[in-house]
Amino acid sequence: MGKNVKMKVEYSYLKQQFAHSEPILKAMKDQLKRCQFTFGPEMIEFEKKFGKLIGTKYAVGVGTGTDALFLPMKALGIGPGDEVISAPNSFIATTGAIVATGARPVYVDVLDDFTVNPDLIEAAITKRTKAILPVHYTGAPADMPKIMKMAKKYNLPVIEDACQSISASINGKMVGTFGVAGGFSLHPLKNLNVWGDGGVTVTNSAQMRDKLLLLRNHGLHGRDEVEIFGYNSRLDTIQAIVGNYLIKQANWITNQRIKNANKLDKALSELSDYITLPTRKKGFRHVYHLYMFYAKKRDQLLSYLLKNGIDAKVHYPIPLHLQEAAHYLGYKKGDFPVTEAQCKSIITLPVHQHLTDSQVNYMLDKIKAFYKK
Amino acid sequence: MKVKYLNLPAQFDVEAILGDIREELKSCRFILGPQVQEFESAFAKLCKTSYALGLNSGTDALFLAIKTVDIGPGDEVITVPNSFIATAAVIAAAGAKPVFVDVDEEYNMDANLIERSITPRTKAILPVHLTGNPADMPEIMAIAKKYKLFVIEDACQSVGATIDNKPTGSFGDFGCFSLHPLKNLNVWGDGGVITTNSKEFYEKLILLRNHGLKNRNEVEFLAFNSRLDTIQAIVANHVMKKLDSVTEKRIENARKYDERLAGISEFVSTPTKKKNVKHVFHVYVIRAKKRDELAGFLEKNGIETKIHYPIPIHLQKGCRYLGYKFGDFPVCEAQSKEILSLPVHQLLTDNEINYVVEKIKEFYGKK
Repeated sequence: MGKNVKMKVEYSYLKQQFAHSEPILKAMKDQLKRCQFTFGPEMIEFEKKFGKLIGTKYAVGVGTGTDALFLPMKALGIGPGDEVISAPNSFIATTGAIVATGARPVYVDVLDDFTVNPDLIEAAITKRTKAILPVHYTGAPADMPKIMKMAKKYNLPVIEDACQSISASINGKMVGTFGVAGGFSLHPLKNLNVWGDGGVTVTNSAQMRDKLLLLRNHGLHGRDEVEIFGYNSRLDTIQAIVGNYLIKQANWITNQRIKNANKLDKALSELSDYITLPTRKKGFRHVYHLYMFYAKKRDQLLSYLLKNGIDAKVHYPIPLHLQEAAHYLGYKKGDFPVTEAQCKSIITLPVHQHLTDSQVNYMLDKIKAFYKK
Repeated sequence: MKVKYLNLPAQFDVEAILGDIREELKSCRFILGPQVQEFESAFAKLCKTSYALGLNSGTDALFLAIKTVDIGPGDEVITVPNSFIATAAVIAAAGAKPVFVDVDEEYNMDANLIERSITPRTKAILPVHLTGNPADMPEIMAIAKKYKLFVIEDACQSVGATIDNKPTGSFGDFGCFSLHPLKNLNVWGDGGVITTNSKEFYEKLILLRNHGLKNRNEVEFLAFNSRLDTIQAIVANHVMKKLDSVTEKRIENARKYDERLAGISEFVSTPTKKKNVKHVFHVYVIRAKKRDELAGFLEKNGIETKIHYPIPIHLQKGCRYLGYKFGDFPVCEAQSKEILSLPVHQLLTDNEINYVVEKIKEFYGKK
């Protein structure tokens, strides 16, 4: 590729993804003859397909990925006075869901692959700890075997934040199936997405499922009887129609992202003076919701890439414990040195399924050009 | 003849709405796209409020109102026991305690009973404009002012309803509306709107509905995810254009029932309303002798009716911990045994109304 070729590498691929959506619109039109907008058959179908994809007995469609984490915590009775162990480097919703229950988030630092460091969990457990909420951040599975061992030792339930990690697995076992529940997001920017907000909680526990069914629908047992005070958090039937269409492509989407990531990994590993790749654990299937690495002169690289039409991003520059919103938790700078150091050098490249080879090559060319100039 | 409670499939301009969704797929602004703002502006105008914000559900509209004014554990909120469960559930969801007061003959909060329920822990009054009939807002606002309480209007059933031309949702600190498929102004799934005249509340609500995010990277406070989907806003923008005619048609249908059922007032009483109010008849509720038999008879004759609701909130299992018992709210309890909701939707025909009236008269032997 010529040095002066300018290309656009957009982060969002939605326009490409939905350029040929007539089958989805047709299915919507068909549903409009019946107007079963709430818990329609397409929603039930999606739940079945989703459960099958992940390999759990049950999947429960809910309003958002945030609610997919909040509702199982409520189902476990987590509330004021309780603590939930999580990581300080996720999207804010992970912590938001904990706080929404009235419980307190307790952070432990992360590994270089951005997932929670299982060796630090034990030290964070107190009498008030009620659950562990590991995040399969960026699409990389957290070390579930170790986390489950710790959870077992202390008899703590585990709720997996799998919002970014649909189809990620450890030695063939999907994330979301390790803990008592796994929360997934169907937000438009996720690997498996719908045309608005949506989420799914998976579980193998009939008890958990029954509680979730009540909690997502006002605690209603039939039309007229209220078993418990609940919430309103339902996956819209018309969003499930989009989900049903895309779930057929889930494997293709995942494989494309992995293919793109492997290509980036291979080329970037040759720039080890400037770039460090996160550890790619053996047997861990990373689904690359985010393709993140560590870069020297990150801010300059970021603006150089942006100037060259590449939508690079930083997920996220400020860790959760240093957000204004988390002041009341009493954390301070230095509490999570790994996370804090990562914030300064992480950068995210587009890795989506609609990237072309020439776009991948263009990104690599520009990164090389930046460091070699 | 079959008379359905609702006829949703006949209600929507499907081609036009799907056309607009197809058009949006060229830009895919699925989260808080410009159609949401367009809807919010139109809705604020409708409610004559400074602001309106699109949310994920009517339930969330009530919940976020409560969160905006920091109501939580230890606080009490005064409301009614005859609403849909969500009205009380949002209070409990915030960690506060729902305190019920009985209702009047119009199924709305009996304003005379509010003051005796106020305690030092009371933070807000949450009246419901049940069935689409405005609660006595002038009286409720006067009490709220006297005791410095917030007022959160549950207007989930009352879009377009007014008192002296002032819309429900514009009296209190917040108006909370539902766009659920069964509502007068409806979308193709869950949706809600909150209205307010306070800039401070509006700005806080913008953060509350979107994870507390000030911008992409900074979180001001820990919050929630409750956004009206862009594609639902597209539906709402279409339905909004027809709202006036929907409301007028429902009012007209109600008037026809009123007139045609007047002859059997010893068995059936029709809804009453105050002179200066516009009741938008989300639900047309009659009080009927031998209610359950009547409902069964109508069903047998192809007429779909509903009961909103057969079990008052204070007697629900989910409410036991609050310690209420049968007899606490005698008006509400008596009503729950006699109320019956007749189809009143905007697509109901004159023939269908006649048929429903005829069958009711037949049931009471008054044909």
